Amino acid sequence: MPVVIVDGQEIEIGADERLNCIEAARRAGKEIPHYCWHPGLSVVASCRMCLIETGQRDAATGKISMVPKLVPGCQTPVKDGTVIVTESPLVKESRARVEEALLIDHPIDCPICDKAGECLLQDYHFEHGQAERRADLHPFTSRKRDVGPTVTLFVDRCIMCTRCVRFTREISGTAELMVTSRGAKEEIDVFPGHPLDNKLSGNVVDLCPVGALGDKDFLYQQRVWFLKREANVCGGCSAGCSISTEHNQDAVYRLKPRENPHVNKWWICDDGRYGWHHLHDSSRILEASRKAVRPDRPDQGSLTPAVETIEWSDVVTGLRADLKAAGRLAVAVSPMLTIEEAWMLCAVARSIDPQAWLAPGFVPVTGNDESFPGGFTIRAEKCPNRRGIEEVLALYGAAGRSWNDLVAYVAAGNADAAWITAGYPGQWIDTATAESFAGLGQLVVQDLFDSPLMRLASWRLPAAGFAERAGTWVNVAHHAQSFSQAIRPPAGVWPEGRLFWNMLGRRGLYDPVSVRQQIAGSSAALAALAGELPATGVDLRIHQLA
Amino acid sequence: MQPFKPVLLEAVGVPDGNTLASYQSRGGYAPLEKILAEKQPAEVVEMVKASGLRGRGGAGFSTGLKWTFLPKDHPGPIYLCINADESEPGTFNNRILMEDDPHQVIEGIILSAYATRASTAYIYLRYEYPQSWHRLQAAIDEAYAAGYLGKNVRGTNFSLDIYLHRGAAAYICGEETGLIESLEGKRAWPRIKPPFPAIEGLFHKPTVVNNIETMACVAQIARRGIEWFKSIGVPADPNNPRDPGSYGPKLYCLSGHVEKPGCYEAPLGITARELINHFGGGVWKGRKAKAVIPGGISMGLMTESELDTPLDFAGPGKVGCLGLGTAAVVVIDDQTSIVDFLHNSCRFFAHESCGQCTPCREGTSWSLRMLERIKAGKGRIKDLDILLEIGNTMGMMPGSTICGLADGAAWPIKNAIKKFRGEFEDYIKRTNPSGWMVTDPVPALQIVGAH
Amino acid sequence: MIAQKKILTDEMVAKIEALAPRYPNRRALTLPALHIVNAELRHVPLQAVAEIAAVLGLAPAEVQDTMTFYEFFYQDKPHGTVRAFVCRSVSCALRGGDHLLEHLCEKNGIPPYGTTADGSLTIEPAECLGACDFAPCILANDDLLKNMTPEAAEAELQKPRARAT
Repeated sequence: MPVVIVDGQEIEIGADERLNCIEAARRAGKEIPHYCWHPGLSVVASCRMCLIETGQRDAATGKISMVPKLVPGCQTPVKDGTVIVTESPLVKESRARVEEALLIDHPIDCPICDKAGECLLQDYHFEHGQAERRADLHPFTSRKRDVGPTVTLFVDRCIMCTRCVRFTREISGTAELMVTSRGAKEEIDVFPGHPLDNKLSGNVVDLCPVGALGDKDFLYQQRVWFLKREANVCGGCSAGCSISTEHNQDAVYRLKPRENPHVNKWWICDDGRYGWHHLHDSSRILEASRKAVRPDRPDQGSLTPAVETIEWSDVVTGLRADLKAAGRLAVAVSPMLTIEEAWMLCAVARSIDPQAWLAPGFVPVTGNDESFPGGFTIRAEKCPNRRGIEEVLALYGAAGRSWNDLVAYVAAGNADAAWITAGYPGQWIDTATAESFAGLGQLVVQDLFDSPLMRLASWRLPAAGFAERAGTWVNVAHHAQSFSQAIRPPAGVWPEGRLFWNMLGRRGLYDPVSVRQQIAGSSAALAALAGELPATGVDLRIHQLA
Repeated sequence: MQPFKPVLLEAVGVPDGNTLASYQSRGGYAPLEKILAEKQPAEVVEMVKASGLRGRGGAGFSTGLKWTFLPKDHPGPIYLCINADESEPGTFNNRILMEDDPHQVIEGIILSAYATRASTAYIYLRYEYPQSWHRLQAAIDEAYAAGYLGKNVRGTNFSLDIYLHRGAAAYICGEETGLIESLEGKRAWPRIKPPFPAIEGLFHKPTVVNNIETMACVAQIARRGIEWFKSIGVPADPNNPRDPGSYGPKLYCLSGHVEKPGCYEAPLGITARELINHFGGGVWKGRKAKAVIPGGISMGLMTESELDTPLDFAGPGKVGCLGLGTAAVVVIDDQTSIVDFLHNSCRFFAHESCGQCTPCREGTSWSLRMLERIKAGKGRIKDLDILLEIGNTMGMMPGSTICGLADGAAWPIKNAIKKFRGEFEDYIKRTNPSGWMVTDPVPALQIVGAH
Repeated sequence: MIAQKKILTDEMVAKIEALAPRYPNRRALTLPALHIVNAELRHVPLQAVAEIAAVLGLAPAEVQDTMTFYEFFYQDKPHGTVRAFVCRSVSCALRGGDHLLEHLCEKNGIPPYGTTADGSLTIEPAECLGACDFAPCILANDDLLKNMTPEAAEAELQKPRARAT
């Protein structure tokens, strides 16, 4: 195996790996500071922050000959015998000078800058910069430009790394951003009338190493050092992008892409990025209730039936009893559920009615898949786990069905009760479809928001939002990712998993990992889910082939 | 000084010297016909390599060797780019060649394209040369009409198109990869290397970028032979294995404070003093030189006592200059303030820095701001140390930039301050008696734009 | 941007298209196209940039990015019918280039890069014009004005000048 020597430490790299010095040094635990380089973008080697000393060790003699000048770590590939020196006086001086140069015109307005706390300019200056200012003092400037519906450009904070420009040219392929002018007068801008409004636009904010590009959705909402981060998966579509849910005190403030080479690389779309606001929507269903059973005041025709709030402990017992009493049960397993939740739901249903008719819940689809030059695809299927619930349903002998089959099944009078899990962030069912469920003895609906179906329900249960769930989703490409709960749901809401867990009579807190192990053990198709899953997930098919 | 008959400049002063008829009457295009009939491309590469011709654009890299870096048996296309973006302050030899003897240049291009198997050549011409544009276009039209260009050149299998492509007043387009980016319709930000243009250049194809004067030299080597070319100039230093020698005639541009500014042809290795006295009629107004730029402003400064340095590829480096560069010699007389000179130099590079690499973008503009402040009577001795530090650390040679523009910006700073520090200190102390010793940051004079 | 009326004429587009066979892709036509429009209009307004981009199959920002890099094309309003580049680089500066520029601006009552009220003249500093043998020099449209004194230059710049390119 090729050996690379990083600050005297020998590390092995893969024979076929093509690493640059930054990546190789990282393997040795050495961080080479850099601004313009990003693994997902073309290499421009222009910020010059990653300058290091390199050399080559002669395989035969062991003698090291050094390159007599600094080289950019981003642009320099490593091979067997490459010597990387990241902490020599020459390297340190060079970093200090680049920091000094970048700060000559920078406003240094960290106290009012949203990026403070996660700003590379700030971090690197602290670590590599010099304490003394030598450049002339000039008046503070803070020019702002609206570059698109989601992004504000703070012109004077920009260090001209051009990551954002390259992103719009290479990844989104929309090329809205540009560099204008040349030399020290350069600025980032958009062409008038052509704003940065592509569906991946928010990524430029993540790419910006400084406070130049601000996300309007997040701007001035929260200091980043108050944020906690939870590795999550986006529930917006069947791509299942890895995300980091950034939250504080059970409130989400923003979603960021989480690097995952198998799924979304470094990116997410704006639909996903801003698709968390429904979690904190005041119209969410926040308590379990059921149609009032009041013999003294029976429901009257078209009047909205009275409902009564019900304690969760009573739901656990009452729901089972009501459904059992009703007779033949049909269950819609929502593609918003995790496979653990889906599996437990099926188990609960079959424990109530061993013949329970199981089918997928509604699968929202909008338009067509949308692909971008950088390899990113936004899926038309706006749910994260259709494949997952189908796998689970197959375990229960309910493969090959659809939501429409279920609607038809119920409309044909084959069921006496239905349990519809939903959990969609918006309206999903029309009145006509909902009417198919009108004549049932019991109708259980679990959802985030009120709907024509919810209005018919005898049991109205709140659902959890994506960041409030735990478990595993399987995306459109059979890639499974497990995640934990990022925030607690609002008071009064039990995530579906907790209800099912309790209805199965399991003890203690809902433990999705134990459920997952049980699923993995019971199915060859899902065997890959056994054990601890990597943060980037696992491909279910690869395991089957092996 | 030995008498020397101009070759590259033989058409200068000849009536209608820029026409095809004139060029042919002087023996032009006959060598091309002979070579096309008798030699394989590889033999032409060998010929140029053996002549010892080094690129006349500034870097002095062996032309024939550069051609051998092209991939063998490439399916094509291979592109030839002719760098006519001559923008180095003090330099105008390419302009003379294009205006007065465009066919010599075109013959050189055809030979070079044949050697490199290129079937398209782009001449990237700076905007500021309208006369060159007219003359070159007229000559290209004549060459097409005479069958030297186009499909099946003179009945052979070799075809070549030459296109003129005009720049838009950006110095960096003279950097070969900046030129390529500009030709491709992008901002002229030089590319990182590798890959070098010979492997992946214009439109991602193997590309050779050569200078106009280099093309003229190729034409003359074809006409007069390797031995003729090698009989001129300075042989390789036997004690320096890395010196390939400085062969052939060279066009020296002489300007500034001399009696007779002009473009003069001399064997490589003429000294600056010979050039000034023999060709330039001496420093103007009977004055003495204070400093001399040896090869365009990027090369730095020689002092009066360094004027006997031979202007070959190795000479200027021996007195601390960057190199021979474009061999544009600019004389600065003893009445001129070196502060003014450095301000002029810093202004040029701040204006022309492409803005890609941090050290150059910020270093050139910071240098200019300091020079502006010094000239406004608010200089500090500390500024000289900062300037020197910028000069020592900015550039391709220390490794802090992608291209050599920053080295060119750094050398005048380094040379001026090291060789004329006393004058700078006197100026600063005289003009800023109360503040020259301040070391804390001072208010900026103004927000200095690059213009 | 709302385009009321096309700025690029059919002739301009035809000139651009005539150059297309010279290059393997259309992006390389950017500079030639900018020159073609600029030669006619003496500036390249935003809408023209967008129209060039449409002709070349590029995003407007890509053309604007390239164009502004050169700092050569005026955008908001045309330069004068005579555009005079006064060299300020070292060889001309040594022979009075800066003074020449200052003088001409003062006499014509305009700042550097300014255009006279009648639109006849724009004066701007230029880096080395490559005519150091005639320092100080001025490039006025296609004409190189050699060895200029302030007075001679003043007179020269009053003359109308053709612009063939």
